[in-house]
Amino acid sequence: MSLSTMVATGCKKPYNPIIADTNSNYLVVEGVIAPGQDSTFFRLSRTVNVSTKQSFKPELFAQIAVVSDANTSYPLQEMGNGVYASAPLNLDNTHKYRISIQTVDNRTYLSALVEVKTTPEIDSVGYIIRGNGVQIYVNAHDNKAKTRFYRWDFNETWRFHSQFPSNYKLVDGDPVYRPSSEQVYECWGNDTSQNVVLASTTKLTSDVVTQQPITFISSTAEKLETRYSILLKQYALTEAGYTYYANLKKNTEQLGSIFDAQPSSIKGNITCSSNPVEQVLGFVSASTVTKKRIFIDNRDLPAWQAYTYYDQMDCRRDTVRLKDVFTIHSAYTGTPPPYLPLSEPYFAAPIECVDCTLRGTNKQPVFWK
Amino acid sequence: MKKFYFLSFCFLILFKLASAQDGTKKTISVNFQQAKIEQFVSELESKTGYHFYYIQAQFDSLKVTLQATDKPLETILNMAFQGTEFRYTITQQQVFLTKGRTIRTELASGFFNTQPANQPAQTAAVVDYSEEKEKKVVEASTENKLYEIGIRTNNIKSGTANLAGYVRNIKSGETIIGASIYNPDTKVGIATDQFGYYSLTLPRGRQTLVIKGLGMKDTRRKIILYSDGKLNIDLQEQVTSLKEVQISAEKVANVRSVEMGVNKLDIKSIKQIPTAFGEADVLRVVLTLPGVQTVGEATTGFNVRGGSADQNLILLNDATIYNPSHFFGFFSAFNPDIVKNIELYKSTIPEKYGGRLSSVLAVDDREGNKKLFTGSAGIGLLTSRLNVEGPIIKNKTSFIFGGRATYSDWLLKLLPEAYKHSTASFYDFNLDISHQIDDKNNLYITTYISKDKFRLNSDTAYGYSNQNANIRWKHNFNNKLYGVLTAGVDRYNYDVASTANPVNAYKLNFAVHQTNFKTDFNYYLNPKHTINFGLSSIYYNLNPGDFEPNGSKSLAAPDMVAKEQALESALYIGDKYDVTPDFSISAGIRYSLYNYLGPQTVDNYAPNLPKESVNVIDSTTYGKNKVIKTYGGPEIRVSARYNLDDDLSIKAAYNTLRQYIHLLSNTTAISPTDTYKLSDPNIKPQYGQQVSLGLYKNLKNNTIETSIEVYYKKISDYLDYKSGATLLLNDHIERDVLSTQGKAYGVEFLVRKTAGKLNGWMSYTYSRTFLRQNDPNAGELINGGVYYPANYDKPHDFNFTGNYRFSHRFSVSLNATYSTGRPITLPIAKYVYAGSERVFYSDRNAYRIPDYFRTDFSMNIEGNHKVHQLTHNSWTIGVYNLTGRANAYSTYFTEQGGVINGYKLSIFARPIPFVNYNIRF
Repeated sequence: MSLSTMVATGCKKPYNPIIADTNSNYLVVEGVIAPGQDSTFFRLSRTVNVSTKQSFKPELFAQIAVVSDANTSYPLQEMGNGVYASAPLNLDNTHKYRISIQTVDNRTYLSALVEVKTTPEIDSVGYIIRGNGVQIYVNAHDNKAKTRFYRWDFNETWRFHSQFPSNYKLVDGDPVYRPSSEQVYECWGNDTSQNVVLASTTKLTSDVVTQQPITFISSTAEKLETRYSILLKQYALTEAGYTYYANLKKNTEQLGSIFDAQPSSIKGNITCSSNPVEQVLGFVSASTVTKKRIFIDNRDLPAWQAYTYYDQMDCRRDTVRLKDVFTIHSAYTGTPPPYLPLSEPYFAAPIECVDCTLRGTNKQPVFWK
Repeated sequence: MKKFYFLSFCFLILFKLASAQDGTKKTISVNFQQAKIEQFVSELESKTGYHFYYIQAQFDSLKVTLQATDKPLETILNMAFQGTEFRYTITQQQVFLTKGRTIRTELASGFFNTQPANQPAQTAAVVDYSEEKEKKVVEASTENKLYEIGIRTNNIKSGTANLAGYVRNIKSGETIIGASIYNPDTKVGIATDQFGYYSLTLPRGRQTLVIKGLGMKDTRRKIILYSDGKLNIDLQEQVTSLKEVQISAEKVANVRSVEMGVNKLDIKSIKQIPTAFGEADVLRVVLTLPGVQTVGEATTGFNVRGGSADQNLILLNDATIYNPSHFFGFFSAFNPDIVKNIELYKSTIPEKYGGRLSSVLAVDDREGNKKLFTGSAGIGLLTSRLNVEGPIIKNKTSFIFGGRATYSDWLLKLLPEAYKHSTASFYDFNLDISHQIDDKNNLYITTYISKDKFRLNSDTAYGYSNQNANIRWKHNFNNKLYGVLTAGVDRYNYDVASTANPVNAYKLNFAVHQTNFKTDFNYYLNPKHTINFGLSSIYYNLNPGDFEPNGSKSLAAPDMVAKEQALESALYIGDKYDVTPDFSISAGIRYSLYNYLGPQTVDNYAPNLPKESVNVIDSTTYGKNKVIKTYGGPEIRVSARYNLDDDLSIKAAYNTLRQYIHLLSNTTAISPTDTYKLSDPNIKPQYGQQVSLGLYKNLKNNTIETSIEVYYKKISDYLDYKSGATLLLNDHIERDVLSTQGKAYGVEFLVRKTAGKLNGWMSYTYSRTFLRQNDPNAGELINGGVYYPANYDKPHDFNFTGNYRFSHRFSVSLNATYSTGRPITLPIAKYVYAGSERVFYSDRNAYRIPDYFRTDFSMNIEGNHKVHQLTHNSWTIGVYNLTGRANAYSTYFTEQGGVINGYKLSIFARPIPFVNYNIRF
């Protein structure tokens, strides 16, 4: 319930208080123990001061393993940038598991033992067309009513194109005809979920999730320009895990209204064995993941006008002689040439308006149909 | 049979003075069996030779059965009349038989002005005239007339007598609260109570009384006090004059009264203060008083001397108002056209009040006009008001009705798309009836109902409602003793409903019902002692929440948190003792007792372990009305005043209080979905103690009041919340709350000018409030168990409220307020989690939002002041937040597009003009 601008005269302004830097350097553990055929990924990082530009500080060279309550250990391999992974573990679901970490500074961290949850299948992913965009939702259920707590994250992929097609590329400063394999007009952008999406069915008579909103895509978004796809991943949570994510969401996503709850400290389930008072952030859970992908085509949507990336830019075609493209514009900004030749003989445009690979990939993803 | 004529008798006794003991020498013997008066008299006449005088009709009922041998006449008469109303007087062989009173056979002492001054007062008369049943109440409405009080006697006895009565408005018949009646000779004075009643003990004889009432013309009455009696005083309304614009009736009250930390305001001064939407707002005025703070602009919850918002007992005509705000706090629940005055008790809380720790805010409605039908209406930008009042039975029974409603949706339509589809509305109605049964009995019925509804573009609709009704019966036993019997019901409920997704559609209800019964007695024992005593009982019935499906498709599982019942009772007695004219003590004790009642199932937790599900040993189920847990104890209320000088006094007070009902809220402002919780075996009642000291000085003929008060306060078992607590629909709320201790201290300065063209007040408060949770067994330490500032800890607080009257018809008001920003919890680190930057928060309330500053300005323009015209009208035009400062309501850090951004939220970020048109008929 946000009343932030309810009264016409109310307002919201950026605010950056001066906070004494506290040299916080707490370990952050993120990941889900995958018990079945999927790989288990964990990412270790450190907190940084709020004023720091770079917000992700990976924790490198740690030893990390999944350990069962019978003390069987399944080590993870370091993949770089704080990511650690293992091959599919095929765990025995009757046991409980935890994460054990030893960092380079020789501290050891242990998570609580967690039960393995089996995530039910996603029934369907759908969307509702609203006046100002598309609401994507999920339906799911568990006949045994054992799930109750759900979390989702997702990967989005969409096809988009640059403002102008380019038939030429520059090779050693000379315009050369561009082969179709190197086209830079049509690309696929992608993104991952940024918000915590949760649902609990404890207040319902049956374990049914109906039209749970996942994400909202504005009608003007470039994502909807031609074709859009979302891969939704569903995880079952324990009640403690649900509480953790709900607090994380409350503390970092749902502030700003008059009736806000106060921020509170979020207690995860990881402790430092050598120093129990040390703050460790994150919550370790164990569950299978179920997935579902849908596509949304622009032709199935109302005739919305996308406000594309190019609308914010000055994307004009200039008439130049083809052979001058390189020389003229490298004088301004050097290499790579900011202008790319469009068609023979006269047109060129800024590279941001032409090369879609700056914001995506021109290789069609394998799942793309 | 002898005829007896009063006049001739008077003549007779005037000149035939004789001893009453005259007939004692001779003895006679008689034997009467059911003898009638004729037989009785003729036999006595024949045996004594005395002559009897009497009125036969008066003695019709007399039957004498009596046997006596050798007894004097007096003894026989005594025996015959024993236990009857009949009296006799014997003088000069004459016997006068009377009914009801004895005839005095001497002149009143001092009749000829010859009695030596040192001779004791005449005591011949044996009957106390003041016991006469049907005594006339003197109605005094004129200054120059001499009013006779009591039974007129020729000589005025020395000693004192009691005078009591009501002070009323001559125009409307409405009683005046807090009017002072003061005798300049003896320097004895008293203020009328909430019924406009006073009782004053004065020396007998000729006296002058000075009467000052709120908004009334100062006046005086001349009286001759013969004996105890009644005097009702009618006052003229103050015609707004340039020289005398007053705020307080009790111009010396702040210095003279024993009470500390009490602020009284009448509706006139409330109306002078500019508010956001132009409508006078009781609660916003309270916020300008020293020691009162708020966490932000759009909240009506207020904090008194470091107390939380639920520690204020808010009473409307003695009925408890649980939610005192409308429309997100932009309006208060009290209709300014109906309100007569408000009293805020911050330190000395009278014994008769209890159940909340910090303060009592008593709002009293006016009585309806007992003489004619009148009314008023007001039109503002968002609301309109109507008030009608008048007599039902002239001079005896009157009613007053007030109603308000909003038409605010147009404003919401002007908002950006995100809020365009919001709706919000409220209404409230007051209907009060007051009835004078006779001189000794008065009946007051007051009712209040309010309803708020809003939907903020979301699919969830919210609604809440206050409903109150009570009946008060005031009975005057005699001049010195009166009692008030009150019975009533107070209800507060809210509901939240969602229909957007038919499968999840739900409705959630919360309700607290309380049934009250209480009696309060006031006994003016003698000039030195005024005693209050009484008892009260509140039965709570609380529905902590029921959750039900909304619509046939809904799969919402009905969930109901078990209802709670409790009985809170109290017995109190207090005495205001004037030790010397300069030194007074008010001391009282209130014993409160709380019973948590069944039916209920209560979990028993292992001792010294956190109250968590794993530590439940077992649970006990109790039957209906079974006492589950009893809490209670004495509450001490002591204050004392010493006058250092006529206009300078020093006061001290010590108070303890207990609170059995808790507000569950982890938002900074009172939100409409906050629930209440009764103390139970796992949640202890709150306990508070306060000690305060004050210095009061009046300047310039009592037109400027100044005061300094310091206080120190300790609170135990105040509830704070574990991180991520669930407060709604929680069957085991004790697992989510923490019991904390609080301490608060501060110093308050107040300067108030009550007369002249310029009037108003200025206050500065320095105060601190801290809480602490240091019990490691509770499960979670807040900030490592050290004291942390409470949400409403705002050390510096300055307020200025002034009104300048240019003419009878035009005045301007200015209001300025400054305070330190309230504490907040800020992020001190960030990290990436679940796809976004997240923040890690500091210790609770380790930082503060920017300081708060606001000025408001308004002009009051009145139409002409001709008394005889159909309607009187006035305009209020002004600007709220004149400087347009964007005061931070809160700051917050939220993730957008994967990056954390800090924001400052303001409610009124620019000047808000307003206009209000009022009409009186």
